[in-house]
Amino acid sequence: MIALILKRVLLAIPVLLVVASLTFVLVRIVPGGPFDADKNLPPEIIANLNAKYHLDKPVPEQYFLYLGRLAQGDLGVSYKYVNRTVNDILSDAFPVSLQLGTISLTLAVMIGVPLGAIAAVCRGRREDVIAMFLSTLGISVPGFVIGATLIFVFAIELRVLPVGLWESPWHVVLPAVTLAFSPAAYLARLTRASVLEIVEKDWVRTARSKGLSQWSTVTKHILRNSLIPVVTVLGPLTAIVITGSFVVEYIYAIPGMGRFFITAVMNRDYDLILGTTLVFAVLLIVANTFVDVAYQILDPRMRLED
Amino acid sequence: MQTLDNAKSPPAAIKPLDQSVVARLKRIPTAYFAFWVIAAICLVALLSWMGFSLCPYSFDQTSTDFLAGPSSQHLMGTDELGRDLLSRIVYGARLSIAIGLTTAAVAFVIGTLYGAISGYFGGKIDTLLMRGVDIAYSLPDLLVMILIGVLLGRGTLGILIALGLVSWMGTARLVRAQFLQLKNEEFIEAARAQGQSGLNIVFKHLLPNAIGPIIVALTFTVPSAILSESTLSFIGLGLSPPACSWGTLASDGWRSLRAHPHLIFFPSLFIFMTVLSFNFLGDGLRDALDPRTRLGKTVK
Repeated sequence: MIALILKRVLLAIPVLLVVASLTFVLVRIVPGGPFDADKNLPPEIIANLNAKYHLDKPVPEQYFLYLGRLAQGDLGVSYKYVNRTVNDILSDAFPVSLQLGTISLTLAVMIGVPLGAIAAVCRGRREDVIAMFLSTLGISVPGFVIGATLIFVFAIELRVLPVGLWESPWHVVLPAVTLAFSPAAYLARLTRASVLEIVEKDWVRTARSKGLSQWSTVTKHILRNSLIPVVTVLGPLTAIVITGSFVVEYIYAIPGMGRFFITAVMNRDYDLILGTTLVFAVLLIVANTFVDVAYQILDPRMRLED
Repeated sequence: MQTLDNAKSPPAAIKPLDQSVVARLKRIPTAYFAFWVIAAICLVALLSWMGFSLCPYSFDQTSTDFLAGPSSQHLMGTDELGRDLLSRIVYGARLSIAIGLTTAAVAFVIGTLYGAISGYFGGKIDTLLMRGVDIAYSLPDLLVMILIGVLLGRGTLGILIALGLVSWMGTARLVRAQFLQLKNEEFIEAARAQGQSGLNIVFKHLLPNAIGPIIVALTFTVPSAILSESTLSFIGLGLSPPACSWGTLASDGWRSLRAHPHLIFFPSLFIFMTVLSFNFLGDGLRDALDPRTRLGKTVK
């Protein structure tokens, strides 16, 4: 187990290096620089600014300077949020996004897994049709449409929930629900497929034939085994939630990483773009490592193979 | 020779279905209905692209009827410049549909080639290529799309390349898995024994037998591309005006959600309908191509 985690951590370093290098090259090729928006700046000042942030040096030199700082855990400075380092901004924004993401994922699991299990157990019947219709609906509605609908109903018409910013627990409700929608639908479809596969196994027939009730068979024998593939999608699910968070944080004006990433791209805030991208990459690597470890714990057959 | 010809027929697991796929699809009502919805939307997009005027107004024709709600004159109302929303949605259909279909085509070509090479050769090449896919997968799609989209400019071509670049990995993995599974089958061995070339085996034997799941996967690529485009446009990093897709229309509508909800409602409805139809069609195709599904009978 520890060997596996260690292996993953070692593998993550080259992956992060590739991600950092690709993003570095990408943002430098993009037309426009960080100080373009301030049209009134005289050229001398722009030259000074570029010199201050080493942007006047040749790109390869900038690249090695960046990697050197990165190795020390320094993600650089923001060109737009004056006097703030990227580390500083991210340490404010990351907890917000983490909170939002965790709440949404929990919500998605609590809704999606039972929905899929019910659909599979009642295969072909009304419950199945309704559950699958709902989940197909869930993966078909763009996040901003869910967000707009929720805002319209709960904030504009009913005026029961606040919209925007990140202050009280009430501010979490609408964004979390918006963000939970598509992972919940995704989980429901996956759980259903997984349960359907397990239902046909011999040991489920054995459980039934020895007289176990439907409830025990489903919870103890079917659900437990069909959750293995469900746990393994935590990696892709994290990616879905991150993608969703871009939209949700944009709509609800939440000061999280997704929002900072979008504004950083618009502003050509080089270091901030790189910093957020790297944090997202680390997050996904952590999620995937967690999945591998969980896989080994849940499925003893995997341990023998290793 | 007789025995060898027999050996070429596909293995039992993927035996040709006793009914054609279309006939089986007809028995899944949601999928069949979805098929016709998609056909209708594509037809409208095609006719509009060919220059037929399907609406009483042109998409950029302004009037003094600003921000009117739905009425008999403007079925879906007008925007802040008095442009008819229905006409704009019909016009926007071309871009949205074209982006969805083109992305699927790109995903098919790149993904199939990549996956075929990986699965056919196996070994070190496979490991290397799949490691590449892993890295590409280790970043959220939208993040990559935003970076590439900004790099290439906010035109249609930039969006298409960005979408294509993030959409092929799933297909590549699928094709590789199918090839790895199929290449040990007897009919491939027979083809080899006949001395057929590698290309022949890939395109005449492996690919046709793997095509079912690939088509299903591509059917799901179209809606996800349409969703991605609309999301990009929505957060202001996608197509920029005067380009007009369902995503940009919804994005414009978002700004006046409070006062004029119809402006976001109708474009969203079309995105939703199209994506939903493609998803239902994909589900239906998957069931129709799977010989284990017993259609028309209640499965207990």
